[in-house]
Amino acid sequence: MSEIISIFSQILFILFIISFPIIILNNNSKSKFYEFSLIDKLCINLIFLINVLFFASILNINSKYILYLYLFLIIFLYFFNFKKINFKNIKINYYFLILLLFIILISIDIAHELYFAWDTKSFWFFKTLNFYQNQKFENLKNFPISDWPHLGAYIWSFFWKFPFSGYEYFGRITYAFIYVLSIFSIVEIVKVHIYQKIILAILFISLTYNYEFFSGLQDILIFSFILIASKFTYYFFEKRYKTKLLELTFILLGIANILCWIKNEGLFFIFFLIFCILIIKNLDLKTKKLLITGSLTIFLIKIFILNYYEIFNSDHFIGSLDFKIFNLFEKMKIISLYLSIYLTQVPIYLITLPILIYTSFKYKMKDITKFNLFFLILNLLFIYVAFLFKSSETELQVRFSLKRVLFETSGFYFLAIVIFINNYLHSFNQKIFSSFKKKH
Amino acid sequence: MSKRFQKNFGLLIIIFFLLVFVNNHNLFRKFYNIFFTDYETRLIKKHGYCSDDSVGFLRMLKKKYKFNFNPLIINYEDSVPISGWSIYDTHNKIDKNHKILLNYPKKPLLNFKPLDNIFYSKNTILHSNGIANIVFNLKNTNIRIDSDIKIYRKTLNKKDIIYEGNFHKIINNNQKIPIQFITKKINSIYKATFIEISELNVDQLAKINSITLNLNHEFDLKDFTIIEKFNNCYYVK
Repeated sequence: MSEIISIFSQILFILFIISFPIIILNNNSKSKFYEFSLIDKLCINLIFLINVLFFASILNINSKYILYLYLFLIIFLYFFNFKKINFKNIKINYYFLILLLFIILISIDIAHELYFAWDTKSFWFFKTLNFYQNQKFENLKNFPISDWPHLGAYIWSFFWKFPFSGYEYFGRITYAFIYVLSIFSIVEIVKVHIYQKIILAILFISLTYNYEFFSGLQDILIFSFILIASKFTYYFFEKRYKTKLLELTFILLGIANILCWIKNEGLFFIFFLIFCILIIKNLDLKTKKLLITGSLTIFLIKIFILNYYEIFNSDHFIGSLDFKIFNLFEKMKIISLYLSIYLTQVPIYLITLPILIYTSFKYKMKDITKFNLFFLILNLLFIYVAFLFKSSETELQVRFSLKRVLFETSGFYFLAIVIFINNYLHSFNQKIFSSFKKKH
Repeated sequence: MSKRFQKNFGLLIIIFFLLVFVNNHNLFRKFYNIFFTDYETRLIKKHGYCSDDSVGFLRMLKKKYKFNFNPLIINYEDSVPISGWSIYDTHNKIDKNHKILLNYPKKPLLNFKPLDNIFYSKNTILHSNGIANIVFNLKNTNIRIDSDIKIYRKTLNKKDIIYEGNFHKIINNNQKIPIQFITKKINSIYKATFIEISELNVDQLAKINSITLNLNHEFDLKDFTIIEKFNNCYYVK
């Protein structure tokens, strides 16, 4: 019984923590973030919190001070804003309630399954233990593959430690929180009735949810943050948010920083996304400059930190590469074979890629469709290049990790469904009806 | 259709999909289990007491002996990478004098089945010190082998030779033929191992049911004092 109560309390704690800063700081109509939905605001707060945690981790600030600061500010601001809150105007947000319900359901699954994936037992859990047991960032050197990013493990340790310091899976409930939030966030932009949105969100979760992704692996975080990034990128192409480009740019850079510290490939995916925006969207010079300098800064900070703490293992990195040309054809064959198999095993691709191809060929291409296609090409190129230059164990690497790499970016292609429903579904229905009328 | 009907219909579909999700992931049962079974029991059920990760045995040792060091943990189960995670303390150093041997096999071996003109092993080994002997399980009472025997693994189409030797003798069914070859190359949990007897023709190959490589232990129990034992899990010094 007490464990169930702890799970509920853990979820409420996460919700409480990510209500800061926007929701309780900027709740008036003059606020720059007023137009953003509740879920958008939660996403922005989450991005803010994780960036704060990142800086705390690299500066070796004890995470309990971050928690105290957060608690102090949240309680203070709640009291400060208490009179401004009009309780009569508060409506039940069913969309948000279903979101919470799914977080609870997935948390129950995590609490029951408990097992760890291979990579979790070998690498990720040791990184989590390092921070849970209050060790410093540089202590990561003592664990295998120290140059793998640490932020996902740090988030895990933070929410494992606070508020109860209970069971390790309390930290992984945060992964479930981020995952469900990201799905409800992307579905929110589909222009349909709220019930249809909820149904779409449930279907999306049913298609992508698998305990394996929550067994301590970091791929689910990459998947979720790419989904959140896709949502905010979609706003770049919306007229309604034309005046919010600066805010959107900062949000995107915040996600970029998170992704590059969760898994190494996250860095590539988010830079592809930013690159696609720069190429496809006609942005003003200020935003372009900000995106480019921001991306470069994030990359340079990463290099600097790895070198400063001497965590980067150049021997391991160079040893994992193989540039021999005579093997390339053989390797390409292996990659193509597994790519074709795994594309059919990640159900999102089976639905979104045909829709993307259909909308590209059937209708006049919009910027957002071009953006989607361009990212797909870069994504596939990355897969080939990354696995081609891996050292001799190509088949083993491809067999065990390609499916996960495909899953990481699969959420992005949900934009194809969004584009189709928001822009073409109306004319698609008209065509269907007109052909139906002709027949009869 | 009235708006009220549409609303109720939408709600019904949502409830239906929710129940399907709950049912597909068996969440009612899992909720019940969390309610009535404590965390420790559930954890041991998933990771094993003295099987798989042997988390139960490790946690019992940590509780009983209150380690102020990290013992060296060697797990012979090839589906498990590292087992130390469940009791690891980042403040302590690894003390190699204190070893915990999990799922310790009495006799480590690799068993090879025929595959076309070669033999391949489905099982793998991680903590062996080399090959002790080779045993042929034959359909007949004996067979004459005049050939090279290669034991290897494959990377792309390249053979990584582990052992190569000449055999010129009559071999009886299930006879132990000593090799005593010290190598760590035999240890790998990632790839299958192959045996190739190049000079044997198809008829001769068909007479071999299977081949067994008996291996030497890297950590022999005879060399240590056993402090704690449960089934085939040992805490030794």
